[in-house]
Amino acid sequence: MHSWTTEHSASASTLLDHVTDYRLRLSERQSRVEAKKFWWSVLIELEGVSIDAFAASVTRFDDHLMIPVEYDREDRARKRALQPVTIYARQPLIDSLNQIDNPYHVVSVHLGAITPKETLAFDATPALMDDIVVEPDTVVMAIVDYGIAIAHNLFRRKLMKTRIEHFTSFESEAVEGGHSSVGRALEREEIDRYLVSQTYNQLLDEDMFYQVTGQIDWTSGRGSAVAHEVSHGTHVMGLAAGHAMELGCKNRPIICASLPTWLVADTTGPGMLPCLNLAFHILTKQGRRFRFRNGGYAPVIFNFSFGDTSGPHDGTGIFTRLFEHYFAVDGVREREDQSSWLTLPCGNQNLDRLHAVAGLEPHTRIDLSVLPDDRTPTLVQLWLPNEENGVSSTSADVEVTTPSGQRAAITSLPGQSAALVNDEGIEIGRLACQYEGQATKRILFNLVINPTTHGVDEAPYAPAGTWKIEVRVSNPGEDQMINLWVQRSESLPGIRTGARQAWLNNENYVRYDRFGVPLAVDPKNSECPVKRAGSISGFACGETPIVVAAYSRREAEISLYSAAGPLAERRQPPYVNRLGPDLAAKGDDSYVRRGVLSAGSRSGSLVRLSGTSVAAPQVARAAAKSIKTWDGSARSWAAGAVKHDPFPLRGEKDPTRAGAGGLKTGRYFSRTRSKH
Amino acid sequence: MSIFPQGAYGAYGAYGAYGAYGAYSATGAYGAYGAYGKYGAPPESPVLANALISTHDGISGVQLQDLGGVLPGAPNNTKNLPRLSAGVRAAIYQAELGPTVDVTYASECGNPTAVLWRQAVDPADHQILRRDPMVIMSPPDIEQFKKQMTLISNYAQIRPDREAEILTQIEVPMPFYAAIVFIDPARTPYTLELLNAALAFASNAYQRIKYTLAVKRPIELSPQIQPMIPTPTHGALPSGHATEAFIIARLLWKLLLQSNTPQYEDTAHWGEMLMRLASRIATNRTVAGVHYPVDSVAGALLGLTLAQHVYSMCRGGNWWSTSFHGTRFDPHEDFNWHQLYNADGDKMKPFAQSPCEVWMTGEEVKVNAGVAPSPVLSWLWSRALKEWKDIRSKTA
Repeated sequence: MHSWTTEHSASASTLLDHVTDYRLRLSERQSRVEAKKFWWSVLIELEGVSIDAFAASVTRFDDHLMIPVEYDREDRARKRALQPVTIYARQPLIDSLNQIDNPYHVVSVHLGAITPKETLAFDATPALMDDIVVEPDTVVMAIVDYGIAIAHNLFRRKLMKTRIEHFTSFESEAVEGGHSSVGRALEREEIDRYLVSQTYNQLLDEDMFYQVTGQIDWTSGRGSAVAHEVSHGTHVMGLAAGHAMELGCKNRPIICASLPTWLVADTTGPGMLPCLNLAFHILTKQGRRFRFRNGGYAPVIFNFSFGDTSGPHDGTGIFTRLFEHYFAVDGVREREDQSSWLTLPCGNQNLDRLHAVAGLEPHTRIDLSVLPDDRTPTLVQLWLPNEENGVSSTSADVEVTTPSGQRAAITSLPGQSAALVNDEGIEIGRLACQYEGQATKRILFNLVINPTTHGVDEAPYAPAGTWKIEVRVSNPGEDQMINLWVQRSESLPGIRTGARQAWLNNENYVRYDRFGVPLAVDPKNSECPVKRAGSISGFACGETPIVVAAYSRREAEISLYSAAGPLAERRQPPYVNRLGPDLAAKGDDSYVRRGVLSAGSRSGSLVRLSGTSVAAPQVARAAAKSIKTWDGSARSWAAGAVKHDPFPLRGEKDPTRAGAGGLKTGRYFSRTRSKH
Repeated sequence: MSIFPQGAYGAYGAYGAYGAYGAYSATGAYGAYGAYGKYGAPPESPVLANALISTHDGISGVQLQDLGGVLPGAPNNTKNLPRLSAGVRAAIYQAELGPTVDVTYASECGNPTAVLWRQAVDPADHQILRRDPMVIMSPPDIEQFKKQMTLISNYAQIRPDREAEILTQIEVPMPFYAAIVFIDPARTPYTLELLNAALAFASNAYQRIKYTLAVKRPIELSPQIQPMIPTPTHGALPSGHATEAFIIARLLWKLLLQSNTPQYEDTAHWGEMLMRLASRIATNRTVAGVHYPVDSVAGALLGLTLAQHVYSMCRGGNWWSTSFHGTRFDPHEDFNWHQLYNADGDKMKPFAQSPCEVWMTGEEVKVNAGVAPSPVLSWLWSRALKEWKDIRSKTA
């Protein structure tokens, strides 16, 4: 029988990030090979030092560190107040960085994913970043996604001419002598060469094309997303930037990056951060290659159709900081010399019961259903109200009870933790408290639970069943709100992770109305702590991006799954001016005919996908028409676009779900318009 | 999913890899009687038999003494063929094609080799059989197959995508070809008869080679492949589905090319599409978990070579001699039919190689002087070819 202990680790009170530590320890227990040999992607934030200075300070870990070549000399020399940097590192270095009092000026650590060594190039050299001169009506479309079938005819302007100027596939095996430290980068000329070599009798052999580009590799265990009929990135990029090949579109060049499926497959959030950051770093630099003849920079529209549930949801989380780093005027752009907008989905988890609130009552009890046969960890975050320097006026106790009745409780003091161990003394769960500084300034409780089964090994499992989370506060009230989120962890279509999503429950949660229709909004005066309100993606809480909800066209309603604001409240600045999504676009043709049509994985095919993921790129496409002439911010354009091309939605206006309202995007897909 | 009527082609699935082997003669017999169905009762109907007896007794009268002038039948004459049932003709085609090949076994350094001989009676002396190697085939070694297991294992991730295709291609996947070229029992009965004959012939050939090489199936190397369809009991290499898919594709393409129909002759689009389909059918067997990719390589080579042989038997002309050396095949490589064949010009490749070693060779061989094509098969080809010629108005 398992039991809780508070004496599990001497360093528990000095860790920067408990989840990072827990996952490293879990990998040690699960792997058959020595875990110290694994290369992890890691996102660190450096405070007040350059990358060069950081590298110089960790020379004793040289064998355990790789800084991607995509950080050029200028990037490495630049010193900022705070900058996110993606590194690839092995466990001894990560353990050293993940200490509150580390001497390297690392103020946050976010563990990514174990990265196959064959996808890493330790001897890569910097790429030539020569300018690409473009016509005055050019808008660059930048897509970060996974599974992008780059040879689809919607991304070609001739049979053997691509519209893609740059493509990074993080999943592909690295090539010798390449210019990419992670995966493989393809420039337009190389893509064209493959289009020529794999075209026979005017028909492109796409199965072979993706094998030579490294996107399909049946000899490795890595996923080959574009081998499937439906691939997320292809569909999304088709909506954002697809134009009929015969139109020969030249004014929407594409730059794109495909995240690895092993990373996307583990939808436990933090695993995605380092690669995501590197993708934005690469595409931001690529975007600056596009110059008009007068020397000005062509505008860029980014789309990133992913959502996640972790983070403080108040505009200060690491996701938000990344996006602000790349897109805010005071971010990496430094000078207001290039328009750069980002569209994001608001998330599909409105009905997934992944969000709850506590603190309104002295005692709140929430059930957490952890499913059996779940091969990935379950992570739950509890965020306390924000406080200056961690000096909390809010005192909270969090008690967790396992399905078989073992209880542990810790209080809101950073460093407090309790480990759940099995009969062999192996840790299978952890409840820990840490302080998130920077702009966030909140106390965070992490509950991490082991997988409930494992694919191959006899690994230590955590018990499946109903876990109980109880939150007690000394002075309950509106200003003592504690937000609780379960991180996304589910198997995406076509990807075999064995992940099964845990969810929250409470006896007061009402799922349906009296006609059996799922309730899209929390019932008025509900006492249930599990909320639809506030289910918005943790990525989508920043000030700068255009955040997109989904509507169902026939019903003229926001789709049931489309996640809702508001954001978590803050007591101190920075405050984010956002109630929820900025606007809504079509996510479904109807409740019955779900999804919208866009590119399948092979040329000529169209497939359906549903969700805010497919709504966002339609807005990106529409935004490309206006970014060059719009004088205000991206979000002000979004509000204006709704007035110009409204799609009327039924019922009362609900800015937390629909923002300024529905946008009609059909005209942006017309054949004649696709020339522009 | 069959596009064939139950009369002549109903038991089509009995051929080759698709079902009960050796039932071909039974199929023929069934086809022979199928036409009776239109009279409203099967021939073995006791009621009909009684009716025929009573009718005979009622009207036949005394036996006639003068039967008039009756000429003997025309021996060995293709003019008889249209009057035979399709099943009977099918048996005759096999009698023509079957003896043109033989398979023998050899062992080189412990590695089995199958030789498919092309054989023909010496025109100068009918007691002498002349044989030339048409396909020499040896499999990879077991370590190479182990490496190919990785590809099969990873291909499994697209099983849900391919499920419908895999299940509907267990039997002869003619509807898939009919979706590319306009095949229909009413429109192209002799084309179907030709393909049918080629499939039955190819089945005997590849089954004999499979038996000779005895390559274990993926399910025998790992308990984790878990094929999504039953693994056939015969050996893995060469893939029967690949052989049949490519023999169909190439024979169809040859018909189109000779049809004098502009859209078929002007570009190689139809040929390319037929080969892409054949490749997909072959690959689907790897996705299903019953074949290594290298089985498809060997099967495609065999199918393409046999297609040329069948054509040569129908129309005369040269044939191809090919060899496949499995131990030289890079086990990390996937199946890529472009290494074997180019639809443009209907050309086999002279060789294919992994980075270092040549694993396939092919050369065109002139047919021996005096060896004529089979009149029966020539007749069949002519009939099939007419089905692809453009119908043009006189004023055009």
